[in-house]
Amino acid sequence: MAHDATNMTDADLLAAFAAGDRDAALTLTQRLTPRVMGQAFRMLGNRAQAEDVAQDAMMRLWKIAPDWDADRAQVTTWLYRVVANLCTDVLRKRGRGVALDAIEEPSSDAPSVAQTLQTRAREDALRTALADLPERQAQAVSLRHLEELGNPQIAVIMDTNVRTVESLIARGKRALIARLSGRKSELGYEDD
Amino acid sequence: MTDEDKTLDATFAQMCVDDVMPSEALMDRIMVDADRVLAADIVAPVRPKQGLGAMLLDAIGGWPSLGGLAAATVAGVWIGFAPPDALSDLSAGYLGTTVEVSLLGDDIFSGLDG
Repeated sequence: MAHDATNMTDADLLAAFAAGDRDAALTLTQRLTPRVMGQAFRMLGNRAQAEDVAQDAMMRLWKIAPDWDADRAQVTTWLYRVVANLCTDVLRKRGRGVALDAIEEPSSDAPSVAQTLQTRAREDALRTALADLPERQAQAVSLRHLEELGNPQIAVIMDTNVRTVESLIARGKRALIARLSGRKSELGYEDD
Repeated sequence: MTDEDKTLDATFAQMCVDDVMPSEALMDRIMVDADRVLAADIVAPVRPKQGLGAMLLDAIGGWPSLGGLAAATVAGVWIGFAPPDALSDLSAGYLGTTVEVSLLGDDIFSGLDG
């Protein structure tokens, strides 16, 4: 079934997919997967796990297609929420002890191995601390500080109001600082 | 903003630049899933709603079973009206005697005489 993807919204494409249009699925995959994968990778710091989350999130999108209500939410908004939930689950299962092989290899432009390891240790400690937060705090903080979304958009994604989002973020960050403060020397913060 | 806040924001800022492009293998896996969902819709079409009669017919095994049931019923009725002699001998042999019971009474037609 031919369609001009550039003129079709995500919701239009999803409706076309629900009607049996495979090309619509291909366009949605190419359009949405990089964003989904990026969000998952920033939350998880691990490519393999991020790919599993991305695949899971897209599968949920295919399955919900026949019941999608275009007036209810944007596809991207829905996906932000699904990915945040899935990543929170993965982080919880991963637990406090993070296997070293769960951490990505340093990129080639890293300034030095020691510095890269320290940076990654900090990031991973932060991800682990994020997983310990109440779910909605973790979602609000990650959407604000990892996806750099505005509070009004986060409020839509989380189906709440801006004031609640501000409160969730503030409480979440306080809790993160409290959790990480005990690991200052371990993570090299005292050298900064 | 405290030092802790700055440190936290700096770490988040570092994580924000982390980005990866999805691999071709992932894109393929996602399309395989999409194909599977599409195929499931096609292979398992929604069945039309059945009426009560059709549901009962399905419950007893469809038309072939219904045909067998009808044949057995007709045979039973026939045997009831005209039992073969062998059946009478058989029941007498089991029960020791043959009992005849009139369902209509003896004088039901007596008022019709003359």
